[in-house]
Amino acid sequence: MTKDLEHKFVTELETNQNIIHKVCRTYTNNEASHKDLFQEITIQLWRAYPKFRGESKFSTWMYRVAFNTAISLYRKSKKNIDTSPIYDNYKELEYQDYDDEHDKQLDLLYKAIRSLNDIEKALALLYLEDKSYKEISNTLGISEVNARVKMNRTKTKLKNILNP
Amino acid sequence: MVPLENIKNVWQKQEDCRYKFSKEEINKMIYKKSSSIVKWILIISILEFTLPYILLLFTDYDSSKDFYNKYDLTQIMKMYFIIHFVIIIYFIFTFYKNYKNISVGNSVKELMKNIIRTRKTVKYYIYYNIGMAAIIGVHIFYKVFTSAIFKETLPENANLLTIWVLAMVLFAFVLFILWGVYRIIYGFLLKKLNINYTELEKNE
Repeated sequence: MTKDLEHKFVTELETNQNIIHKVCRTYTNNEASHKDLFQEITIQLWRAYPKFRGESKFSTWMYRVAFNTAISLYRKSKKNIDTSPIYDNYKELEYQDYDDEHDKQLDLLYKAIRSLNDIEKALALLYLEDKSYKEISNTLGISEVNARVKMNRTKTKLKNILNP
Repeated sequence: MVPLENIKNVWQKQEDCRYKFSKEEINKMIYKKSSSIVKWILIISILEFTLPYILLLFTDYDSSKDFYNKYDLTQIMKMYFIIHFVIIIYFIFTFYKNYKNISVGNSVKELMKNIIRTRKTVKYYIYYNIGMAAIIGVHIFYKVFTSAIFKETLPENANLLTIWVLAMVLFAFVLFILWGVYRIIYGFLLKKLNINYTELEKNE
């Protein structure tokens, strides 16, 4: 039974891992921390998995756990503190359809988001992922009105950072 | 420059991250140790709950007993112990209940609230201990300073009021230091969480 659950979990996570990577890239700025946070989110997801009853989509639930881990639970381990930011040198990437211009823009976008505070980072990510205000308010645990107010501020802030 | 109207486009066009983990790697990960602050909160809290009693182990039981007998404090100390015991049970129960409520599946705000609440129980427990130490301390000072045995040991021209004031100032100072040290530890653990919680709460 546990093995079945484990198999199901690993399969679902492997398919949806991009969600966690986006959160990691938003909340960390180097490779070691990215992997470290990814691992911590995975551990937290696995621990909470038996309680996940499918009342929301797997991906929605993943966002919630991932944000909780990145914002409230994760403590940088000492071994990861150093290292220069890697995402600025994203050119080394070997994508098959390598699109230099798009990649540069994506880099800038992540860089801008990383300069926001922890809550605004989550808001920006949820906005870019096209989530409804209802879902945003549920994920963060604030009212929809407040989510709208905060979202407008975050967008303005992001706009100012991107177009100085 | 990224045009703002395009950012959703830019975002949604992003491809798989360079670190794509295989099923095997993910499987290994779920057995790794967590570095969550909740684990540290539990460890530190248990230490804080037990520390006063660990320190008691290093005190000389017989000499305290003699001291209590000498100044007629035995009954009073027993009474304090019973009150203290009941209150500690209450604190541990509350802590356990709050700790159980911490769930990573909650909303971001709910999780923060539960962590802060759990830590607050320990904070109040420490403050309660400092308060109790103050009450018992003053009580002991009173008993000692008003006892005939103590007065006999004083030189004739000694001013009891000065002794009282000095004792109280020193005692208050020690308690204040304890309180200050604790504020720092508590603040250090929850600083980031409190900032984020305030940020979420704004405009609610």
